[in-house]
Amino acid sequence: MPSTAALVSQAFNGLALGSLLALVASGLTIILGTLGVLNFAHGALFAVGAYTAFVMMQATHSFVLALLGGCAIMLIIGFAMERLVIRHFYARPDEDQILVTYGIGIVLVEALRAYFGGNSQRVPVPSWGIGATKLGFMVYPTYRLQLIGIVAALLAGLYLVLYRTSVGLVVRAGIENAGMVGILGIDVRRTFLFVFAVGIVAVGLAGMLYAPVVAVTPDMGASFMVQSFVVIVLGGLGSFPGAVIGGLIAGEIISLTSAFDSAYSEVMLYGLMALVLVARPQGLFGTEGRV
Amino acid sequence: MPARLRSVLPELVLLAVLAAAPVLLPPLGFSHDLLSRALNWALFGLGLDILFGLAGLLSFGQAAFYGMGGFVAAYLLVSGTIQSVWLALLVGTVAAGVLGLAVGWLAVRRIGIYFAMITLAFGQMAYFIENSPLSDYTGGENGIAGVPVPVLGFGASAVKITAGLPMYALLAVAFFLGFVLARRIANSPVGLILKAVKENTGRVAMLGHDVPAYKLAAFTIAALYAGLAGAMLGPFQSYMPPDAFALETSGQLVVQTIVGGVGTLVGPLVGAALWLWLRDNLQLIPGFGPLWKLVLGLAFIGLVMGLRRGICGEILHRWRIHRDAARLRAAQARTEAIEAGAATAAPTIAADVALPMPRPSIDARDAEAEIAIEARGLARHYGGLKAVDGVSFVVRRGSIHAVIGPNGAGKSTLFKMLSDEVSPSAGEVLLFGERLTGAGVTRAAQRGVAKSNQLNQLFLGLTVRENLRVAALARARGRFRLDLLLPGAGRPEVEAQIDAMLRLLDLTERAETPASVLAYGEKRRLEIGMALATSPNVLLLDEPLAGMSPSERAATCALIRRIGRACTVVLVEHDLDAVFGLAERITVLSEGRLLADGPSEAVRRDPAVQKAYLGAVQDDAAHAGEAVHEPA
Amino acid sequence: MSLLEVERINTLYGDSHVLFDVSLHVAENEVVALLGRNGAGKTTTLRSLMGVLKPRSGAIRLNGRPIQGLAPARIARAGMQLVPEERAVFGGLTVEENLRVARLTAEKPWPLDRIWEVFPRLKERRTSRGRTLSGGEQQMLSIARALIRDPSLILLDEPFEGLAPLIVQDLVELTKRLAADGRTIVVVEQNVAAVLSFADRVYGFNNGHVVYEGRAADLRADAAPMRGFMGLAA
Repeated sequence: MPSTAALVSQAFNGLALGSLLALVASGLTIILGTLGVLNFAHGALFAVGAYTAFVMMQATHSFVLALLGGCAIMLIIGFAMERLVIRHFYARPDEDQILVTYGIGIVLVEALRAYFGGNSQRVPVPSWGIGATKLGFMVYPTYRLQLIGIVAALLAGLYLVLYRTSVGLVVRAGIENAGMVGILGIDVRRTFLFVFAVGIVAVGLAGMLYAPVVAVTPDMGASFMVQSFVVIVLGGLGSFPGAVIGGLIAGEIISLTSAFDSAYSEVMLYGLMALVLVARPQGLFGTEGRV
Repeated sequence: MPARLRSVLPELVLLAVLAAAPVLLPPLGFSHDLLSRALNWALFGLGLDILFGLAGLLSFGQAAFYGMGGFVAAYLLVSGTIQSVWLALLVGTVAAGVLGLAVGWLAVRRIGIYFAMITLAFGQMAYFIENSPLSDYTGGENGIAGVPVPVLGFGASAVKITAGLPMYALLAVAFFLGFVLARRIANSPVGLILKAVKENTGRVAMLGHDVPAYKLAAFTIAALYAGLAGAMLGPFQSYMPPDAFALETSGQLVVQTIVGGVGTLVGPLVGAALWLWLRDNLQLIPGFGPLWKLVLGLAFIGLVMGLRRGICGEILHRWRIHRDAARLRAAQARTEAIEAGAATAAPTIAADVALPMPRPSIDARDAEAEIAIEARGLARHYGGLKAVDGVSFVVRRGSIHAVIGPNGAGKSTLFKMLSDEVSPSAGEVLLFGERLTGAGVTRAAQRGVAKSNQLNQLFLGLTVRENLRVAALARARGRFRLDLLLPGAGRPEVEAQIDAMLRLLDLTERAETPASVLAYGEKRRLEIGMALATSPNVLLLDEPLAGMSPSERAATCALIRRIGRACTVVLVEHDLDAVFGLAERITVLSEGRLLADGPSEAVRRDPAVQKAYLGAVQDDAAHAGEAVHEPA
Repeated sequence: MSLLEVERINTLYGDSHVLFDVSLHVAENEVVALLGRNGAGKTTTLRSLMGVLKPRSGAIRLNGRPIQGLAPARIARAGMQLVPEERAVFGGLTVEENLRVARLTAEKPWPLDRIWEVFPRLKERRTSRGRTLSGGEQQMLSIARALIRDPSLILLDEPFEGLAPLIVQDLVELTKRLAADGRTIVVVEQNVAAVLSFADRVYGFNNGHVVYEGRAADLRADAAPMRGFMGLAA
């Protein structure tokens, strides 16, 4: 049995991982909910985000500037992807959408590999995040605490955009019935473009923020993507609250399990998914019938 | 060319290619080792081709079964538990099949996006289980080294199948047998049903086939193929690598199969050979090495955007177009003639309906029942809306019974409850005195309730004959049967049923025409014919005349009248002239409730019915009502 | 000049030809009813006007401007507004949010207060989610969503379908008020009596053809012409 301190520390790790997963899965789920497209390039875009942080950090030596520049780059990538490829696939079968985004994922990962090489890169922890913070009962790396805060702020921002702005209103209406949104005079294609780009920026930001914590490699996004699939199966397809809460649940399961036996951390996550599939196939927050 | 020879032509060509490849291809950069690896991938891909190409289920988790087969076989051999490589291959394959059964049970409940995500997640789960908890058995990240090669023969005459040409021969034999088997499966009744599932899952279930069971069968077959290929991987390279389980492996398989051409069975081989060749040869180009996969990825995107059929699929497609061009043009010309009203648009055959295939038997004690189907207090609520609200009526055996009512009266919902597509919020449906409600649409079909739909639900990619065959097979084979090796057209009673249906529908000349090419009126007839081809006791027709021209309507009415002599018919129809001409009894719904129920003539004169249709036309309704009351 | 002019449009639904050379016109301040049996092509006509379905041939002009082939969003901004048969209320959005989505691209949207005046019931339920509304309330919301855009032409598709008689009465009263206010409306409805009580003119549809054109007052006086396209005891 691990000590209480170890468990608490793992719970914090779970929070950090879970909030990142929530951010990744939010991007995935609003794209899926509005456009009906499952983005299999999501993992690759996570890695693209991390590499953007790497490049921008070298250029500007400021993490904040790196994040801002990174967002601009992700936005451009998102616009380009939607305009050049995704737009032509709205009317095609699910399988075609999956295949083409999977292909884009391959191209992005291989482009990273070709340009940066296969070896891992390091992104330094920002100057304001170096060291550890005493929390009274334990000492915890400062940047990870800040990471939790930043991601929470980003998710809150996404919440505000979705629930407090007119664009968000259109997105939520579009998730339910894109055709009716068009009948009410709103250009749905512009909304789709916006949603796709926001989703890509969300996953890119997750990659940028995660970059100082891990080794940056072209393949780093794959496991994040699969885990975020599990998150949206848990939370319910197309549900933003489901993605956030599902992400936190997934993060805690992985971290707390590894406090006992790290060999089982991922296995537990997939086991939970199997359980949800049997007991509540529409997910925790999904409505029956929206597939 | 004799027909028998032609039917095995693909096998003969494949045999020749496999024999010639190790002689002709090495100068082009295909080493024996590369060809062997391609064959292993191709065997693996045959399973995916059955799953995706035939049944339309795209799995991103095939590595789980590849790895399962591989590691079970490798562990058994290296640990000395099993001495014979052949036996280990068998055990590994079966183990993968069992895993496939378990994962498939969860995965086939969902389609499309969900299915891809779930298979991907379970694939990752298998990878992590192999990597950590089971690393004592699997070697974790190191894999299992020293897997022995298979031995042919016994004692002194035993021959080791070593790397190079012998191993190529072994893998070629395995792939060839796998191909022959896969082709048999594709041509079996199960293969036809899976093709139909891909086109229209709901309709297959309505005809009485257990769709989840067939999907699970396809999933398990794919897992068995993957397991065998995985099990052969260890002996082939004397080493079982952990990345057999990796996500990359599943992804590579999907890409190879799509590039080669899905649904062609040779596509996986061509795709694998191309992938491996590109990898081996592009890497040799100075300065280009790291780019090979990037190039492949770009090519893949282009393929998915443009040539969706893949290499073999495209070739096959063009060849078929070339071969069938004349026939297809003739079929289309006939369709245009019918649409333009030049050709006879409707069946003119006077023959009575005689269905060679027997109907589902009715319990002896109910055999004398006068009531075919009975609704008892049926209700269906959607949120606050009461679509159907406590409706009871009976349909007499052997009669033609109509359900009418204004729009929104609840007819469609009621009809769906009669065939148990929709479960009632309250009440029940009795079929010959026995409860039908709760059985589900598939079991209801097996008990002899067939339905034709308001909007055509045909298998557009299949021919008219195949459409009818899918229907008739449901009666002949029951809900589920794994007759994988039987030819699809191998049941004489089914073929006799199809021929009878074709004559009845006046579609004999169109038997080999794809359903997508038919004229609208012909499609409507086929829609009804598919329901009838299951030899039902009760036939439910949902707006059989929808969208038909006047002459087609008259002909279809005559057809329904003839069908009515052979089985009980219940129909929903808006063409009231037709209804009064056809039905002996009529049930009228209004706002979800029963408004009237009785003999046709009485219902026709019922003032309440008049009112429901035209409304109380203001104050001078009496006068207007008189006018409406006049019989034609 | 008519507000709406439709000239010989032909529309196909999948593989079946549904509208054959349908022509009609609607003058400003006029209420026009499209009557006919199910499957006669009435709903398809409305959907073709709104651009949800694209007619294969023919011309549609709104205020003299051709609109055939445009996307529904463009047609909506030109001043036409469809209230669809299935109501299509956004179930996860509140009543007020439903209205706010609708007014986003309107040129001169109504203030919310004006909607609350017309639909006091919706004001009571302004914070309720669409999916919790009753059928009648959903229909009101669907109509309100159109009104708030202040369109020059409203297309009502089966506004009374599946509703209890009392609620239908309310909605009929509402529609009469809108007509009296000078709104231009094209309505498709099976409840003939209800429609004839407020319509000015009627087009009868049968099998995708317009088979009758006349004044509602005439049909109120003598229902006989309706036998040809309503089909009871013909």
